[in-house]
Amino acid sequence: MINEIRNKAKELLEKKRVECVIGYERATDGLTARPAFIYDPSEVDRLIFDETCVHNLSRFLIDKKHKATAIVAKPCDSRGINLLLNESQLKRENLFIIGVVCSGVKKVRFNQIEDSLQNKCQYCPQHVPSVYDFLVGEPVTETASRNYAEVTAIEDMTSADRKLFWAEHFDRCIRCYGCRQVCMGCYCYECFVDELDPLWAGIRIASSENRMWNTMRAFHLAGRCISCGECERVCPVNIPLMLLNRKLEKDTVHLFDFEPGINAETTPPFATFKKGEDLGISK
Amino acid sequence: MTKVITKEDLLSWLRQLAEKYTVVAPVTSNGVTLYESISGSEVDKIDLSFSNTELSPKNLFFPPTEALFTIVQNERPEIIPAKVDREAIIFGVRPCDARGIALIDKAFLAEPADGFYKEKREKTTLVGLACSAPCPECFCTSVGSSPADPTHVDLLLIPTEAGYITQIVTDKCKQLLMGAPVKEAEAVQPSLPSLKSVPAEGITEVMSKVFNDPYWDRVADRCVHCNICAYVCPCCYCFDIRDYVSKGKIERVRSWESCQSAGFTRIAGGYDPRSTKGSRLRQRWYHKLLYFPEQFGDIKCTGCGRCVRSCPVNIDIREIINDVQRMRA
Repeated sequence: MINEIRNKAKELLEKKRVECVIGYERATDGLTARPAFIYDPSEVDRLIFDETCVHNLSRFLIDKKHKATAIVAKPCDSRGINLLLNESQLKRENLFIIGVVCSGVKKVRFNQIEDSLQNKCQYCPQHVPSVYDFLVGEPVTETASRNYAEVTAIEDMTSADRKLFWAEHFDRCIRCYGCRQVCMGCYCYECFVDELDPLWAGIRIASSENRMWNTMRAFHLAGRCISCGECERVCPVNIPLMLLNRKLEKDTVHLFDFEPGINAETTPPFATFKKGEDLGISK
Repeated sequence: MTKVITKEDLLSWLRQLAEKYTVVAPVTSNGVTLYESISGSEVDKIDLSFSNTELSPKNLFFPPTEALFTIVQNERPEIIPAKVDREAIIFGVRPCDARGIALIDKAFLAEPADGFYKEKREKTTLVGLACSAPCPECFCTSVGSSPADPTHVDLLLIPTEAGYITQIVTDKCKQLLMGAPVKEAEAVQPSLPSLKSVPAEGITEVMSKVFNDPYWDRVADRCVHCNICAYVCPCCYCFDIRDYVSKGKIERVRSWESCQSAGFTRIAGGYDPRSTKGSRLRQRWYHKLLYFPEQFGDIKCTGCGRCVRSCPVNIDIREIINDVQRMRA
């Protein structure tokens, strides 16, 4: 598998089809993975692919916007690419996508691999990337269906309990914006939270601002979040952010029968308006 | 014979102290260990077997957010300065983190001292806890500290099988220990755990020569420019200040900021001297490994390993130091 990735990367760089190949390399713990940027064909042997390749690499394509770039893409990375293509943030002709058939990646921390899959993989319905130019691994027939059990558990709480639940989590937030910075959907040139005029949320790292930040960010990703779980993975204080994103995903699937990232063509529900559309919300 | 306090006696001592002082101690919940204020009835919540907290104790002196003063519109506007009411005890500070506070002291207590920081610092006692099992990413011994370094705490507790050896460091803690259930006992000081070394010596000299090396842009390729490293760091201390205006009240607020933020150096008119990813990432390492040492003598790193652990993309200060040393030509 890794030889196929390395050979393809080498070929693309040698033929100058791309300027850079974004993939994974071994991290400094000698155990887990980190994003790798390969510019020189002689360095392709740095590339690895295994069950510790948790990062969503599509986010880095935003930095390479107008440059021919190849990327190693798991299904979740491919959904991120589709989101960016759909929202006109990337040009397809600049991309070469090395798709990888994925059976899930493990929960990792620095110097530590756990024996269970990442949460995102527990509910990911895909093994084969949605979009690719070259596929590594044997394609499989997709059978899994989406499961929202942990979202339903929060929905079943009383609103008072739910408020307490989120208050406890958001109060830990230190507004490091790790969640935003790893997210391919958060590509705004200036985030609302950094705007001074109008001042949506202040710089205070305190209860009310933290709640505002986390809720607003979730809403900005409604119908857009591709469930790669990166925000939750990187959160230094363990806020279960995917519960929010998955709730909005569940509602978008239910109301609009729309899943972001599956293709680059379908107009997302919040980018369109249909006169007379009845969503049954106010009934 | 050594002065030792047993685990049970330690907890009852803290229970007693909580009546008079704000006691802050490590508590583990929701999968993270953080310093929390503990009331007398909550001492059992304290996590005594933690490796280290996710966020450093700098938060207690340099909080994520604090109001510097408030102006209230009465008949005449009145300025109400912020002040600390109650003396505090931070229990369970690791030697590396105590050193982090000592490094921030150099910047914040240099004249003219930062009054808000100074007041909290003076009204706080640090009860240190020596490390018996450092994390694999720790390297305190390479940057001038050690797992049982008593230098920057007021009292150091060293865990042994017979209880905690109490090592009094300052007069501040002598007072605190009066009436504490410390007993004479046979306790063997455990041997220090060994840590991997990082070639930090002489790094400042090399840093001064490699500012324009393309290396920084290459490392920045994978950096996502969140503020995690700066916020978990025990000695990063950048901040932003803004005024909050509401009806009849203005509050001047100081909150954490970091050199990794896109707008951190943006100035009026929109120009940003550090607008590229590489220049922002480089700034972090230059402040730690060149500017701070030039100004205050020590490199601004305690080897706690938090940034290594928390970085989403494995930007590892140990690797940076090794790479920079290799550039020595």
